[in-house]
Amino acid sequence: MRTQLAMVIDSSTCIDCKACMVACKVENQVPEGYWRNWVKSSEPRYADVDWMDSVRPAHFQPGGCMHCSNPTCVSACPTGATYKDESDGAVKVNDRLCIGCGYCIPACPYGARYRHPTRHVVDKCDFCQHRRDRGELPACVTTCPTKARVFGDINNPKSDAAQLLKQNRSIQIVHESVNTQPNMYYLSATAPINWPVKPGKPDAMQFWKLINPSIWGVVGLNALGVLLMLGKQILMSHDKPAADNSSPEKES
Amino acid sequence: MKRMLISIMTLVFLTVSVAGLMGAEKGGNSRKGKYTFRKSCRECHMEGGKAQELSPANKTQAQWDAVFAADQYKSLACKAEWEKLSAGDINDIYAYMWDHAFDSPSPAKCK
Amino acid sequence: MSSPFDPALSRRNFLKWSGASAAAIAAGSQTPVLHAQAKDGNTGQAPTVAHKYTVCGMCLNACGMIARVENGVVTKLDPNPRFLKSRGMLCARGNAGIQQLYDPDRLKYPMLRKGERGEGKWERISWDQALDIAAEKFMKIAKEYSRCGVLFTPGSDTQSTFVHWFAEVFGSYNIATHESSCLLSRNRAYLDTFGEVPFADVLHTRYIIIVGANPFEAIMTPDTIDLMTARKNGCKIVVLDPRYTKTAGLAHEWFPIKPGTDMAFFLALAHVITQEKRYDQTYADEKLYGINELTEHVRQYSPEWAEKETEIPAEAIRRIARELSAAAPEAIVYPGRRTSDYVNSTQMRRSMAIVNALLGNWDRPGGLLAARQVGLANPDLPEAPFYDDNPENRLDHGMANMMFDEEGSFKHLRDAIIAGKPYPIKGWFIYKYNPLQSLANRKKTIEMMQKMDFIVSVDITMSDTAYMSDLVLPAPSVLERQDPAVGLQGSSACACVMARDPVIPPLYESRPVFDILKGMAGRMELAEFFDFTVEEYRKGQLKGLPDAEKALREDGVYYNPSKLYGVYDGKIYKTLSKKIEIYNQRYAQMGADPLPVYQAPREQPVNRYRLVVGRSACFTHCTTQNNALLHEMMPENTLWLHPRSARKLGLTDGDRVEVKSHAGRGELAVSLKNGIREDTVYMASGYDPLSPGLTRIYGRGACIADLIEDYADHLSGNMAMHETFVQITRKGAV
Repeated sequence: MRTQLAMVIDSSTCIDCKACMVACKVENQVPEGYWRNWVKSSEPRYADVDWMDSVRPAHFQPGGCMHCSNPTCVSACPTGATYKDESDGAVKVNDRLCIGCGYCIPACPYGARYRHPTRHVVDKCDFCQHRRDRGELPACVTTCPTKARVFGDINNPKSDAAQLLKQNRSIQIVHESVNTQPNMYYLSATAPINWPVKPGKPDAMQFWKLINPSIWGVVGLNALGVLLMLGKQILMSHDKPAADNSSPEKES
Repeated sequence: MKRMLISIMTLVFLTVSVAGLMGAEKGGNSRKGKYTFRKSCRECHMEGGKAQELSPANKTQAQWDAVFAADQYKSLACKAEWEKLSAGDINDIYAYMWDHAFDSPSPAKCK
Repeated sequence: MSSPFDPALSRRNFLKWSGASAAAIAAGSQTPVLHAQAKDGNTGQAPTVAHKYTVCGMCLNACGMIARVENGVVTKLDPNPRFLKSRGMLCARGNAGIQQLYDPDRLKYPMLRKGERGEGKWERISWDQALDIAAEKFMKIAKEYSRCGVLFTPGSDTQSTFVHWFAEVFGSYNIATHESSCLLSRNRAYLDTFGEVPFADVLHTRYIIIVGANPFEAIMTPDTIDLMTARKNGCKIVVLDPRYTKTAGLAHEWFPIKPGTDMAFFLALAHVITQEKRYDQTYADEKLYGINELTEHVRQYSPEWAEKETEIPAEAIRRIARELSAAAPEAIVYPGRRTSDYVNSTQMRRSMAIVNALLGNWDRPGGLLAARQVGLANPDLPEAPFYDDNPENRLDHGMANMMFDEEGSFKHLRDAIIAGKPYPIKGWFIYKYNPLQSLANRKKTIEMMQKMDFIVSVDITMSDTAYMSDLVLPAPSVLERQDPAVGLQGSSACACVMARDPVIPPLYESRPVFDILKGMAGRMELAEFFDFTVEEYRKGQLKGLPDAEKALREDGVYYNPSKLYGVYDGKIYKTLSKKIEIYNQRYAQMGADPLPVYQAPREQPVNRYRLVVGRSACFTHCTTQNNALLHEMMPENTLWLHPRSARKLGLTDGDRVEVKSHAGRGELAVSLKNGIREDTVYMASGYDPLSPGLTRIYGRGACIADLIEDYADHLSGNMAMHETFVQITRKGAV
């Protein structure tokens, strides 16, 4: 079967130490103020004054680009720079094709993309392609103290990731408006899960019009077509939306 | 409350007086004792030396008391070395051994 | 290549590696390790890529790392999977070690103060000049006062052993380590109960009570990782903390205990366990000294009584006592690490040690473990000289009655230096030690410095303490130096030896402290005592371990497969009774409480809040806040305040406040947090430095060292940093 790299995460073991974030930042030279990955937290809401009387455990949730099988960012890209790599199932950006228009940034429900401030291309997680080329695991996976992030080809039944998926219930986090079919699986339960946003239309259109009108001519038609597709993604997706209690669960 | 007061007073009293007792009880100078011990005894009493490796932490305070009270060292093979030392030197070594004995509050560290 | 990596790599193999079995080390190999050993150029790139084993120095845990060096530049630090103590992980700080190496805020060359102390005027000088000045000034102090007139403060570092050695041959007993602001009260309590300071076998325990510790944020290897593994395996975690830490958040039960009342909780546990006979009588008869005295003593401390002190329901205390003893001996009251909190910290920890004794967990799986044999030897060094004209004792001698002679008490030393009694201290050699940020009462430390004639700081950046010194010498990071071998205790994971070799040569003009000391010794007629290299010293340490050098080279670590459990079988305990001393005979002889007697914390004045110290996983005390990679996580500190307290003070989230104590003041923003008691406030350490050389955090937040008043634990002299009450007032809108 085709390779589909994925991350299977036992978020209940995350201690929110931020090792994955710093490891990623160093490995991929992510500039100050930007991140390719994150740890979200469902600590009790402090606005609730009586919270202390009914203590709920905290839950920390590591994340990053979900390398979706139905990626809204790919549809949003006018130049084909953002693509789903058929060889490993990862969603990647081809720097040479990327014009930095940024359409893909709001098109991602997970906030996994940013425009690199000096390279002027869009940057995101590629499951540490260069490390994998050397036979190493992604930096965040290797460094994690509690090994909460388990990485592998979920279509290879021998991989740890596939076995974990097989042996456990898992959930994916999606926005109700579109099932992007993310390849980041959380074991049993995770929180928070209501944070993805509806894939948006890119503000960047305005930006590009102002900055470099000539580019508009080149990519305009392309972009229009892509936008139509994006619109289709958003409006016509009939996949089951997932909310807190109705996340698609995969059982073995 | 009374008990608390007493314990506080005891502690205050202790910090002033008993503290000195721990190290100085034997009358000797423990630091000098360490130096004299290392200078006079360690050549043999070290790892790979002629005699058994020895440090204050080899014995309890009671055992060191016994060694020095009974002048046990006089029956040792290194009697001649001991006789070269002054009474003050021996007392210093005693203080060093006792202060850093196996069951002392600051046992000698072995690495 | 459908799958570019070996699926067998990673988790299962990792688990095998971390399985604590020395046999596993010899067995399988693993791709990342192969890469570390691989010759340059195996990636098809130009042959300028190297992978080198090293050990992290961002905190004192010492976790194994593999440094990737490309064209002479360190580009990434990864965990060494063969390093069992750190369970094949590297935390955020470890990853940020690369930033410490290449930080533009690093000190680059020796600098001599011009102008007043703290004025920030410096003159760049050569190393020869610097060492000449340092040697001359210290010798002058030695002649005018005494050799004990120079204070040495080696911080927690692999090369600190050379600072100790230098102090010894120079002739000063006045050495203060970081320990008297950290864990001495814990060490005191366990030494005085078990005769030894234990390591907790967190991995194999079934029930753990964590008090005064925060292992999910104050990362400790392997305890932090083991705690999560144990939790996955069903271990119950109970946390008592006035603050909702991440450890509290991930615990099964969390009780926001009234600060300073922990002893009441443990005496009540002892009450239930003894009254209900929930301990092993045979074990008690054989191993424990003073069980009957304890039973009698804790009769007064019922859970109902403890509820009034701790604000933890009596019924919960009773239940926890029963659950805990049911899980024994695979049950632990976690000894913790930093115990510099209250004036009765030692007795508080004694009450915890006593509950451990009742659980019968000493030297058993899932309990408390004795230190294991590592096998390092002491290299042959010449005998240190004895100086007859020196005072008889340390300056702080006798200021606490159970002080550790080698560690001393910084708090008491500082008082004695300011008083100039019983003799003056006029010089100070500082290595990796920053009391102006890390210890209580910053103003008093400055006052102490003003009593001194000459202060040398060896540091990587211009810390506050360096900034207030006379001569500042640049040190390299651990990635740039060769270090002696060090034995590490990794609980049930391992006992091991680590040693560092330079990953890259030292940057700028930085020199390791060993070279600095050697240079000074040569100028003080002490050259013979430093007539060796670090390489030779290490060879001396490893002389009894023939396999060590090879293992260090090939695996980045050497394991001595020594006994883990049952170390005490057939052995006596290092106490006066030769048993586990529940009732401490020496305390009785001295007039101290032989069994812990409850002492309520000082009464909290009206409208004051207790200030507590705490840790974050991104910061090592006050040393990594200025690291660009970590600074992003918390650009400045805020004051944690409960919303109800905020309402009383008329504050809303983000308001700026002035915080005042008897020691000092600070200004910062408040964060409203329900996760803190109404009577308690918290702020992170390490902000608002005096030194503008810490460019990212200069002028940001407030400095907790300026606020904490100076108290010390009565028995050990350990600093007591939770005894401060602060006043909070709103600052006008800016």
